[in-house]
Amino acid sequence: MKRRLLLAAVAALLLATAACGGGSSSSEASTKTGGTLTIGMSLDATSWDLAKAGDGNDAVYNQPVYDSLLRMAPDGSLTPNLATKWVYDDKQTTLTLTLRDGVKFTDGKILDSAAVRANLLHTKGGNAAGSELTGIAEVTAPDANTVKITLSEPDPSLLSALGQVPGMIASPDALDATSGPVGSGPYVLDKAGTTAGRQYTYTRNKDYWNASAFPYDKIVILPMTDPAARFNALSSGQVDWTTISADRVDAAKGAGLTVATTPGATEGLYIWDRDGKIVPALKSPLVRQALNYAFDRAAIVKTVRKGLGTATEQSFLPGDAAYDTSLDSRYPYDLAKAKQLLAQAGYPNGFDVTIPDLSANFPQEQAAINQALADLGVKVKTVPVPLNQLFTALQGGKYAMSYFKLSAVGPWDIVQNEFLKNAAWNPFHTTDPKVDELVKAIAAAKVDAQPALFRQLNTYLVEQAWNAPWDVLDTVLAMNKKVTMAAQKTTVFPPIYSLKPAG
Amino acid sequence: MVMFLLRRVLAGLVLVLVVATLTFALLNLTGTDAARNILGENATPEQAAAEAATLGMNRPLPVRYWDWLSHAVRGDLGTSWFKGEAVTSSLASTLPITLSLALAGLLLSALLSVGLGTAAAVRGGRLDRAIQFLAVLSSAAPSFLVGLLLAVTVAVKLRWLPATGYVSFTDSAGGWLRSITLPAIALAIAATGGTAQQVRGSLIDVLGSEYIRLLRSRGISERRVVFKHALRNAAPAGLTVLSLQFIGLIGGAVIIEKIFGLPGVGSLANFSAVQGDQPVVLGVVVVTAAIVVLVNLLIDIAYGWLNPKVRAA
Repeated sequence: MKRRLLLAAVAALLLATAACGGGSSSSEASTKTGGTLTIGMSLDATSWDLAKAGDGNDAVYNQPVYDSLLRMAPDGSLTPNLATKWVYDDKQTTLTLTLRDGVKFTDGKILDSAAVRANLLHTKGGNAAGSELTGIAEVTAPDANTVKITLSEPDPSLLSALGQVPGMIASPDALDATSGPVGSGPYVLDKAGTTAGRQYTYTRNKDYWNASAFPYDKIVILPMTDPAARFNALSSGQVDWTTISADRVDAAKGAGLTVATTPGATEGLYIWDRDGKIVPALKSPLVRQALNYAFDRAAIVKTVRKGLGTATEQSFLPGDAAYDTSLDSRYPYDLAKAKQLLAQAGYPNGFDVTIPDLSANFPQEQAAINQALADLGVKVKTVPVPLNQLFTALQGGKYAMSYFKLSAVGPWDIVQNEFLKNAAWNPFHTTDPKVDELVKAIAAAKVDAQPALFRQLNTYLVEQAWNAPWDVLDTVLAMNKKVTMAAQKTTVFPPIYSLKPAG
Repeated sequence: MVMFLLRRVLAGLVLVLVVATLTFALLNLTGTDAARNILGENATPEQAAAEAATLGMNRPLPVRYWDWLSHAVRGDLGTSWFKGEAVTSSLASTLPITLSLALAGLLLSALLSVGLGTAAAVRGGRLDRAIQFLAVLSSAAPSFLVGLLLAVTVAVKLRWLPATGYVSFTDSAGGWLRSITLPAIALAIAATGGTAQQVRGSLIDVLGSEYIRLLRSRGISERRVVFKHALRNAAPAGLTVLSLQFIGLIGGAVIIEKIFGLPGVGSLANFSAVQGDQPVVLGVVVVTAAIVVLVNLLIDIAYGWLNPKVRAA
């Protein structure tokens, strides 16, 4: 008797809690303004202290509370935000910003040039997002509304950095953010609804100077590392927007979710040893061009990426200043031509090369490389390299070439990460006088003149076949029907002002 | 009893120390470059080396081990290399979640096992065979598979319970129960099979013994015979299996947490292990080992209470 009663009681309790206790945590009916936006993120926030925050993932957590100096539009162009005007001097080394009047932090302090100066110098000292400000030599505040940033040398990516985390401004009294973030942004962190690592709740900042640009009254961010958990949360209505993996696209569409893509990373065969130190054959541009002809990019995008990518021979992203559509037909898939080029270079029987075997994590990509090299008659030796040792091995110059992918960033950042002598991803420190000359010219040029110079650099790099890129793979985002998102061309995570209630 | 306890506690401490040492050795042999993971993809080798030096990774292994150990015994488990948060505070916020999940799973499993095992032993016949079949099935089904199925059917399709997320008991008892139900069921199902079988087996043995026949012949109701007398003797075997299951439950909780998005120790351990955040991984391992030792100790005490013969050993 007692046992039956106990079991019945447990069952009743479960049913009762399932029945009552309201619905899941998200939005009310979608109207033009108001309501709650719930976002699922794959990583937790790093820090409210902007010197420790990174860009990308951390940007989403920091955007609701902090304003940035400039605002990045979905197409990558920069519009006024905290700064209403900005202008470089002729040498491109002094940037003068004019600040908006009457902006206050939520602790009552005024956002003036002294606050901006304190922030830029503080963030610059950090390792993550701050690394984008290393070019800053000095910041002065000639008057309350003017900030002068002096660079040690021209930095074409500074303006876009000021539109992201490095350009965010916190209250000078709370730069370390030890008791939470204090900014001037559209929302305030609601401490009661926030548990680190679990849930972050932001409520409207009533005195915000641009409230109309932010329709939601409340934003909730839930960090969830597991893709299955995020997908279930999205499908069951617990979150409104999240990133999903490419293999869930069909399931998402079937469940009535809207799927969108943003550029994720450029992948392909990266040819590290362009000076021929380990593999002399790679010194010849003809050999590197042959490698470019050996891949069927369209097929790779179709089968390996399931159509979620954009085939390209370029190291730069479609749509950015350096991109040139005509270059995408430079190396069509042509094995005969590839073999002819090898013969012309003096390697009719191919050459020997040792590459890392990444099939544990990238089976199809590794297979594509092994196949292409076999087709060319190149004698390949593969060495299994665990993923957690790959970066060290590659940067140490152990391998002449390998499959690799580098995250999508702006054109100047790509130049700095890959094409300079001591770039992180130039392990053999190869240089080319023409590349150096063009890079210098880009740095010295006025903003309007830079795209043409970038394209010249890009054309040269493709002609010289510095690498054999295959495509830019997509990051896939999914959202339910209550949310619309302005298409993003430059950042992986859209800024929160790109997300609006539908209808 | 006291000597018995002391011996077990000492053995437990040695075990935790051995586990910690092994983990430390393994962490430093995997070759994960934590410094690079902290700085991100575009860090140069020089920057990575500088970060490694800041973290103290260049000191010889025994020095680092002694440094960690001498702090750990005083309760200072260090700070996370990635988030700068004290390991003890990360554990303090995540451990309750995992423990409540594991305990909920354990309780549910215990209830189900005793219920099913008793029913199978007492009723026999078709019910017995059905329950045995279910027990084998549940032992074979991996808990993550059960969890995924539950999440997709109950949470996503039917929307009866949330698919992810954790509500703490202090915030809302009802919310906590809702967020813990599916994960606890997923965990419990895997553990129930073996335990139910054990209860059934030992109960059948006990019910066939002399003194039970004597009790029945004195006219005591079957209900009292089973629950007051027989189960008490059959329980120790079940408890042993359950204590073994608890270790499995802690491990299973790691995966279940991932599936249901519960920010417990499992998620912390998973993330830190992949990134190479040594202080956090060591802290998690030490604390988890200590908890397993403690639970086994408690079950040993319960065993001793149920069966006085054990205390003399």
